[in-house]
Amino acid sequence: MQKINRNVALALLSLTSLVFLLFQLCYYKFYLSQKNGATFSKVRGSQSGQDSTRWQVVRKFLGLISSHNIPVYLIDPLILRLVDKDIEHIRSSTDGPSPECKYFCAPRDFTTFALLDKTWKHDVGLFRTAEKMGFQWLKIINKDPRLDGMDDLSGMEIPLHYIFKLASHAIHLVVFYERSGNFLWHGPLRLKQHMDRKFVPFRKLHFGRYPGAYEKPELLLVSIDDLKVQIPKNPSSFLEEMSHSRFLECRYREARAFFQLYPDDASVDAVEFRKKAKSLLHLAALTLNNLGVKFWLSSGTCLGWYRQCNVIPHSKDVDLGIFIRDYKADIIPAFQKAGLPLKHKFGKVEDSLELSFQGEDVKLDIFFFYEEDDHIWNGGTQAKSGKKFKYLFPKFTLCWTEFVELKIHVPCETLQYVEANYGPEWKVPVKTWDWKTSPFNVQDNGVWPIDEWDNVIQIY
Amino acid sequence: MEEWKPNPPVKPHKKRSWYLAWKYKLTNQRALRKLCQTGAVLFLLVTVIVNIKLILDTRRAAYEEEEESAQDYDDEMLNVEVPRHPVNNKKVLDVEVYSSRSKVYVAVDGTTVLEDEAREQGRGIHVIVLNQATGHVMAKRVFDTYSPHEDEAMVLFLNMVARGRILIFTIKDEGSFHLKETAKNVLKSLGSQVAPFLSWRDMWTFVGKKGGEVYGEKHAKSPALSTWGDPVLLKTEVHLTSVEDAECHWPDTELNRRRKRFCSKVEGYGSVCSCKDPTPIEFNPDPLKDNKVFDVPVAVIAGNRPNYLYRMLRSLLSAQGVNPQMITVFIDGYYEEPMDVVELFGLSGIQHTPISIKNARVSQHYKASLTATFNLFPDAKFAVVLEEDLDISVDFFRVNSFLSFLSQSIHLLEEDESLYCISAWNDQGYEHTAEDPSLLYRVETMPGLGWVLRKSLYKDELEPKWPTPEKLWDWDMWMRMPEQRKGRECIIPDISRSYHFGIVGLNMNGYFHEAYFKKHKFNTVPNVQLKNVESLRKDNYETEIHRLLGEAEVLDHSKNPCEDSFVPDTEGRVYVMFIRMEQEADFTTWTQLAKCLHIWDLDVRGNHKGLWRLFRKKNHFLVVGVPASPYSSKKPSSVTPIYMEPPAKEEGAVAVPAVAAAEQT
Repeated sequence: MQKINRNVALALLSLTSLVFLLFQLCYYKFYLSQKNGATFSKVRGSQSGQDSTRWQVVRKFLGLISSHNIPVYLIDPLILRLVDKDIEHIRSSTDGPSPECKYFCAPRDFTTFALLDKTWKHDVGLFRTAEKMGFQWLKIINKDPRLDGMDDLSGMEIPLHYIFKLASHAIHLVVFYERSGNFLWHGPLRLKQHMDRKFVPFRKLHFGRYPGAYEKPELLLVSIDDLKVQIPKNPSSFLEEMSHSRFLECRYREARAFFQLYPDDASVDAVEFRKKAKSLLHLAALTLNNLGVKFWLSSGTCLGWYRQCNVIPHSKDVDLGIFIRDYKADIIPAFQKAGLPLKHKFGKVEDSLELSFQGEDVKLDIFFFYEEDDHIWNGGTQAKSGKKFKYLFPKFTLCWTEFVELKIHVPCETLQYVEANYGPEWKVPVKTWDWKTSPFNVQDNGVWPIDEWDNVIQIY
Repeated sequence: MEEWKPNPPVKPHKKRSWYLAWKYKLTNQRALRKLCQTGAVLFLLVTVIVNIKLILDTRRAAYEEEEESAQDYDDEMLNVEVPRHPVNNKKVLDVEVYSSRSKVYVAVDGTTVLEDEAREQGRGIHVIVLNQATGHVMAKRVFDTYSPHEDEAMVLFLNMVARGRILIFTIKDEGSFHLKETAKNVLKSLGSQVAPFLSWRDMWTFVGKKGGEVYGEKHAKSPALSTWGDPVLLKTEVHLTSVEDAECHWPDTELNRRRKRFCSKVEGYGSVCSCKDPTPIEFNPDPLKDNKVFDVPVAVIAGNRPNYLYRMLRSLLSAQGVNPQMITVFIDGYYEEPMDVVELFGLSGIQHTPISIKNARVSQHYKASLTATFNLFPDAKFAVVLEEDLDISVDFFRVNSFLSFLSQSIHLLEEDESLYCISAWNDQGYEHTAEDPSLLYRVETMPGLGWVLRKSLYKDELEPKWPTPEKLWDWDMWMRMPEQRKGRECIIPDISRSYHFGIVGLNMNGYFHEAYFKKHKFNTVPNVQLKNVESLRKDNYETEIHRLLGEAEVLDHSKNPCEDSFVPDTEGRVYVMFIRMEQEADFTTWTQLAKCLHIWDLDVRGNHKGLWRLFRKKNHFLVVGVPASPYSSKKPSSVTPIYMEPPAKEEGAVAVPAVAAAEQT
């Protein structure tokens, strides 16, 4: 009996083991297939090098959009890169059928399009038609940033992104809004609690990790892969723009808290100064943009933006930063042409360059920044003694923001930048400021040799 | 683990002989067999553990991936939405209604929906409308039926309420003095037994369904003229119906969905919610040819007067050339009903947390609204500003198309810095003083009431120094101050293109409205071609005025200008009169003249360099202030300017309460 029992037990156990093994195999297979499903059948794509599903979905989507008269344009970076390579050919080619599917057939999870908010009427019919055509869609809405700066206004939330999914392909429609400063803005893609996190692999989206700022693009109607689409007229410059399009919203809530603590100066002088600083900044931005020189808000102007979303009325000037590698000899004549005479020029291109221009009662200071391995610095010079100063900053990159109705750069790592410059007490307004001693990050940097003074200290 | 597949006892019955041989072999080698058995057991255990671990691992991996895939995109805010109203399947509502001299309240299922014990306020019949399916309050009104005409308003309101709604009535203080027969009959038809006999200082509560059953009524008679009836408290139950019964069955379109949402929430808007043949909520007015205002944003400034807002938006959306996408309604306060109205029309609305009090609150609301408008439409060079209590004339937008004509030649407008605004309102445009719908004026005052603002003016000048919340100033008075206006002028039409119908408002009461607004002439002729657009430019306008004065016949200055016979019974002529005006700010005679002509006299409006233009008996009538006006030179030397005495004291006493009353309410 025992023997049989033991054998039976052994057999049973072996059977269980087999079942487990089979189960494990099945599970593994199931898991694999699920993964494959999510990445949209790589096998098929690699076999043919083509994915007609994608083409079909894009065609259907374009049909849907045009039936509702909604002008969208293609901003998919992968396709635009391909398009950019043969842009000449695409521009010149007429409507003949294209021999092969080059652009819309590469297997991808997404194709990205842009929509200008003001060009459509939020027509609900669109979604109903989309559903009839078999699309599933997701709308991502959020607060309207254009009202964020306003005291206590609560508008309706605005749509920032739409995703239309059909079969294994999804269309990502990014909604662009016009902002003060004559530029386009798109919002970040943030999912709310109840939303389906697996609707599409959100991490793979090209737009939406951060908000972005763009110039208004000129569009071109082209026919690629037998589909008529609008694309940015100059895809390469669009792609270039996209690579550093990150946008920072001003910290309006903190700014309001700041003004609660330190009420704003509404005196006639303050209003006048702000008005002049604003127009000076507009003029400077116009001049530098025309030259193609990248610049950002620095020092007091940057602090004003970060702390109170406005020009600090008791600051005496407008401060900009420029990387020395972007320096152009044309800068001085261009400003002079714009009606801003050079006030002084300290340092030289190789070391501690600093330019000052005289606006209408307000001075424009341009500091040139020198990049080292682990930090960035700019220099200062005391005219009467020839003393040199150095201001150190941690490394930073540039982001767009909106300031006094301008699209303008600020360091993305603004807090570090401001703290480096003004120390941990930057939140407290200081009215007496000495550029040689007050900054937190100032260092003595020797003295200019006397024989160079004529060159490195020029005062007009 | 793969190598374990050919586990020996896999298919025992098929390879019988091999199995037996193996078994035989094993039985002979006990030790080996035991070892095998233990080995097998151990292996099995290991397999099981490994398997379980694998399952857990893959699970976790899958879960992590999913988490990861979206975590960058998670909203930082954890919007855990707690349903505000727990699903209530209860079919019966407990209703409590209280009526007394100094206090009324209504509670529905223990929630107080009306409570009024303020002194000297809320006298009359309070009416509450409940949704018969949900029990939600759809409308709350009070009709001061102690005063005349309020009962008519109540009848109008009750007639607008849909059949089947639950109506709750309660009286505070006194509600019968001016409750006329018609109103009593309406109440009777609702099922009230007491209403026909309601008398002086009676207390009364009533709950009933419109066109249906009565849920309860209580009444306390006033024993004597000098005393009030005893307080009454009515407790009753109301049976709810199903949602389907409470709704109309309109065809399922987007518009009707909006309508349905609106009509199940609020009451008192009449035919927009009628089941049969409801009034449209989308209007497709003819497009304007060459429309220059299509892209001009329209800011509608609203408070909590949803009925006015409703009427105003209807009128606005029916105006030729309107672009609903450019309209934003700014609501001062978190009021639901105005927002419902905005949503009914599919427009966008923005609510504004009230800042400060009284006039300063209005002023802050204006500032926020204007700033937001220019933020939302950064391309716009102008904005149209409207208030909720304005009716838009059929061709209101015509006036603005003139503005946009200017806007197309921005350089011209920027050269002509002498323009401050364009307004649709003529302060002096009364029935008897306005005539020509195609005529425009330049005036030194800023009338408001439907006007167009230039962005640069707002952004560069007004916004930075707008009165702060602690300054209790009127924004429009502030804008009219010389520091702001800087001598610039507004363009106005002879016949106003907007109409002021608000009676309840900060600066409005019935008397004030009657006296100063009701007789205003309001343009109803569509498609008016404005004639003197070009001549409105600064220099051209002077030429035009000189031409007019040259052509004008001087009136007989020996007659009394207040008399009708002062102006001859002619038509289409131009007349001029000269009044005394010692310096620029001397309006003594003008104010007296305005008073006797029955036009705006509370302050000086409509002047242009000491000249006023209006119509009398269909003749163009010019008034020149001598010697302050530069046009004084046109006065023939034989004519002595007319001087009119400032008011005698008792006259002044009459005028003052009107202003005071206007400011109080």
